Amino acid sequence: MKKINLISRILGIAVLTVVLLSLNSIAQEKKIVFETDMLSLKLNEETKISAKVVDADGNTTQDSLVFFTRNRRSLTVTPDGYVKAIKSGKFSIIARSLTANRDDRVSATLAVDVAYPPVQKITFSDTPKNFYNTTTISLQTQVVDEAGVTRDNVDVKLTSSNPDVASIDAFGNLKAHKKGDFTITAKAENKTATWKSKVLDNPIASMEISHNYDGKTIRTGDVITFKAMAKNSKGDAIGDAPIKYTYIAEPDDNLGQGASAQIAQSGKFVASDPGLFTVIATSGDRSTSATVKAVPRNVQRPLTLVGKGIVSHTRTSDLWVWEGVDGRDYAVTGTWGGNGEAIFWDVTDPSKIIPIDTVVVDARTVNDVKVSEDGKVAVITREGASDRKNGIIILDVTNPRDVKVHSEYTQDLTGGVHNTFIYENHVYAVNNGRKYDIINIEDPKNPKTVGVFELDTPSHSIHDVWIQDGIAYSSNWSDGIVAVDIGSNASADLPGAGGSPENPVQLGSYAYPSGWNHAAFPFKSESTGDFYVIGGDEAFPYGLNTEGANRAAGWLHFVKFDDWNSPAEVARYQVPEAGTHNYWVEGDILYVAMYNGGVRVVDISGELMGDLYDQGREIASFYPSDSEAYIPNATFTWGPQPYKGYLFLSDWNSGIWALKLGESTSQGTN
Amino acid sequence: MKNHKFFSFLLTTLFFGLAPSQIFSQDYYVYVAAESEDEVHLIHLDGKTNKAVIAKTIEVGRYPTETDGPHGINISPDGEHWFLSIAHGNPYGMLAKYKTGTDELVATTDLGMFPASMEISKSTGLLYVVNFNLHGDMVPSTVSVVDPEYMEVITDIETGIMPHGSRITNDGTKQYHVSMMTDELYEINTAGLQVNRILSLKKNAMKMEGHSENSKEHKENHEKHMKDGTHEEHSKKENEMKEDHSGHDMSGMKNEGMKMMHAKPEVKPTWADPHPTKPLVYVAGNGSDEIIEIDTEKWEVTRRFKSGKAPYNLEVSHDGKILVASYKGEGATGIFDLESGKEIAKITNSRKVTHGVAISTDNRYAFLSVEGIGGEPGSVDIIDLRTNKRIAVVETGKQAGGIVFWKQTAP
Repeated sequence: MKKINLISRILGIAVLTVVLLSLNSIAQEKKIVFETDMLSLKLNEETKISAKVVDADGNTTQDSLVFFTRNRRSLTVTPDGYVKAIKSGKFSIIARSLTANRDDRVSATLAVDVAYPPVQKITFSDTPKNFYNTTTISLQTQVVDEAGVTRDNVDVKLTSSNPDVASIDAFGNLKAHKKGDFTITAKAENKTATWKSKVLDNPIASMEISHNYDGKTIRTGDVITFKAMAKNSKGDAIGDAPIKYTYIAEPDDNLGQGASAQIAQSGKFVASDPGLFTVIATSGDRSTSATVKAVPRNVQRPLTLVGKGIVSHTRTSDLWVWEGVDGRDYAVTGTWGGNGEAIFWDVTDPSKIIPIDTVVVDARTVNDVKVSEDGKVAVITREGASDRKNGIIILDVTNPRDVKVHSEYTQDLTGGVHNTFIYENHVYAVNNGRKYDIINIEDPKNPKTVGVFELDTPSHSIHDVWIQDGIAYSSNWSDGIVAVDIGSNASADLPGAGGSPENPVQLGSYAYPSGWNHAAFPFKSESTGDFYVIGGDEAFPYGLNTEGANRAAGWLHFVKFDDWNSPAEVARYQVPEAGTHNYWVEGDILYVAMYNGGVRVVDISGELMGDLYDQGREIASFYPSDSEAYIPNATFTWGPQPYKGYLFLSDWNSGIWALKLGESTSQGTN
Repeated sequence: MKNHKFFSFLLTTLFFGLAPSQIFSQDYYVYVAAESEDEVHLIHLDGKTNKAVIAKTIEVGRYPTETDGPHGINISPDGEHWFLSIAHGNPYGMLAKYKTGTDELVATTDLGMFPASMEISKSTGLLYVVNFNLHGDMVPSTVSVVDPEYMEVITDIETGIMPHGSRITNDGTKQYHVSMMTDELYEINTAGLQVNRILSLKKNAMKMEGHSENSKEHKENHEKHMKDGTHEEHSKKENEMKEDHSGHDMSGMKNEGMKMMHAKPEVKPTWADPHPTKPLVYVAGNGSDEIIEIDTEKWEVTRRFKSGKAPYNLEVSHDGKILVASYKGEGATGIFDLESGKEIAKITNSRKVTHGVAISTDNRYAFLSVEGIGGEPGSVDIIDLRTNKRIAVVETGKQAGGIVFWKQTAP
């Protein structure tokens, strides 16, 4: 029998080889010929292309063709060859024959060049009224094309009519060399713009520098504002003298130390390492300097284990801790990729965390758990329901030892609810990866949808939402942080716009290039009064093993909102070996779950600038792991919640933990 | 003529050369997707011992801490690659292409909302995947047509609400799927990339003609408008018409009221599978507990077979004699004799929520994916179609769904 099989296999392989070679040669004989070798289009231009299949003798065959492109966001191509240029650039169109036999199929590519619209206008921005001898300024230009688009990919050539008076380099640095007139010409494509000016005598006789930490101890991470002033011979300030800042570092540790500080041209300076720093301000051929000493921040405090509730049969997701109507303290944790459980715990004594009830719903993942402000109603999310209706389950938690189901709500939530927030008798349910529905739960047995918020950007998506003072802060991956007025109140840090749950009104937004925005948390700095929203990443560039140890990536983005229209990303917290997940701010302390990096407690007092991790702002860290855990002896911290002087955590691998942040043991600041 | 003779010779040689290995085949392989585990399992059945095991598990998906939901799975006609639809995304799902055997990920491409079932046409070589759009909004969705070599979407063909069950005739010329929330069967011309016909599956329903962007009439009009410079105006009007859905039985409906104004579906069809040799298509009436037979020449329903509760997927055997249907609502499998239209066997599955069906090429075994509920493992239940008895159960990751027969080989 084996012999027969062997012979048949050899014969089969031989025949197949002959067939494939034969068919391949047929395919090679045919080719697709476009009517043009290359397609050149203008932006928004439409055209129809055609092509034909010819055999080795050049005869047209009867093969049908379809057209498509790998650049769908830049070029519209219908299967029958209608083309529209949506964006400028170099693209391609593929034509392939429709044949029954794969090996008889031929394809060809047509290059498409969609020309950028011609430059329409060049303008100089922020040109100074007075340009003083020996000073240097940065000259900026803006290029707009005929489509009205501001372009940054156009080569702008800058020249000076009188380089002996004022010379300009390729980066726009304009240097004054002597008194006289000059004209700067900017040329892009066939358009030019000119700026006529003159170099004036330099009136600067002296310079002074001061900062806002005079007489105070400066710690690493403290943001010092230096203010340099140029004065004339009479001692009057010259307000329009251009000033540049730089520094010389003499860190305490000279053993291969890297960059030790950061300075902005606004004069703001922050030291990451202790040592001496001389800040130099220059204006033309005048300069001044000031030296400061930065000492270690010394904010470290002990973070000790108080108690834990190990979940060994499945993964744990989010948590919520609250005071029950009986005055005792409770927590609820979700489960991930399991049996649709929400586990309720008595955490009144955090050293003895006791499971008291488990609610099982038709789901595989209960990703999020939230409890209402009055401690009576909980909402848990469902993903992986057997009927695929998912939605949320509203629970009566007045007695957390005997949790009852108020209702199941799936209206328009069938794609799965991933996160929720409860605020003033409404549930904000992030669903389908696209929007959040606003559901009135005044009668928790009869919830009803009263509003929806959804972005209108292309391919928009959403992950989470957090509400404070009537403003919803959602995290929207590539669309970033979005603030929406759903009934803002007087406590809100920035003005609302008359929104309500029935009429959510977008206030502002901030997106960053990575598109990793997974969480958003607003806070007002107790020490400065500044208002920030922290945008948190989630990223797994190294993959994820759901049955073992892992490593995440990503960081926290501190976005300062002075108003809704001008957010500025001013600082970050990035742990090199781990990545961020959920986080919470209480007072001027940040608690952040860092997946494989455990939980980190971070001092975010004072003004924030630069990389907070480098500045020694980390107060404490803790790596929960347990030999009895679902994934034993491996940390993967999901989310923190500070509560009544304790820090509660959920850990994906192990369950719920209670920690206590101790007092500082350091003597003084240095 | 010369070529024809050459190919006849080759095919004859091929048949006799490979025949012994087919006759003595005893190893059977299916791929099954575990939707709530983000895994695909390769299941191996030893036809001699009736023992089945997971031969391999392949982790799939894009986003590690969220369940991406692998849903539909199929294999290219040449058996070289398997294709998987990943239902969830941010917010769009995707299609992933893997090499059979090595199971390496080859390429991905983004699709629409909740892409589900798919198949590659033997005629065009293109892959047709329905975007099920299980996202609450009752709006028309699309069938994405993908070039599986380049892994690029060629076009999206507009179809009904919550389309599901993409299966193609043996000659590759027609794709059939159903619109679950409008009780319709759609027929797509695979070469023309257009909806040919729409058939209401309700009892006493009228025939409906489809309107397609790719219809001949549309193309001619398009060319005319491109030439006379009125294309933009025409497109605008066309879009307004689309929102109005005046081409369908939705008269008087306005866009914002769409989901409220649709009649409640009666049939809730969830799958369509054409007969291998006859001009027939079989549809699973998930809401009406029936299997519906459609004569594609007459374009009308010819028979309705009473089935178990909530039939979901079905497959006609390769010899066209029987039909195997998954009864999602009762955790069972129904086997129908297609000549008589009678259910000849009902086999209780190993757990609840029976999902997909795949029949071995020799028609000997039916492989049923069974989802289970909550944290319960899913399974592949294997039925011997000679005895109509379950002969093996393989536990899988949670929510076993999409399933496809890969191959049978000699041991």
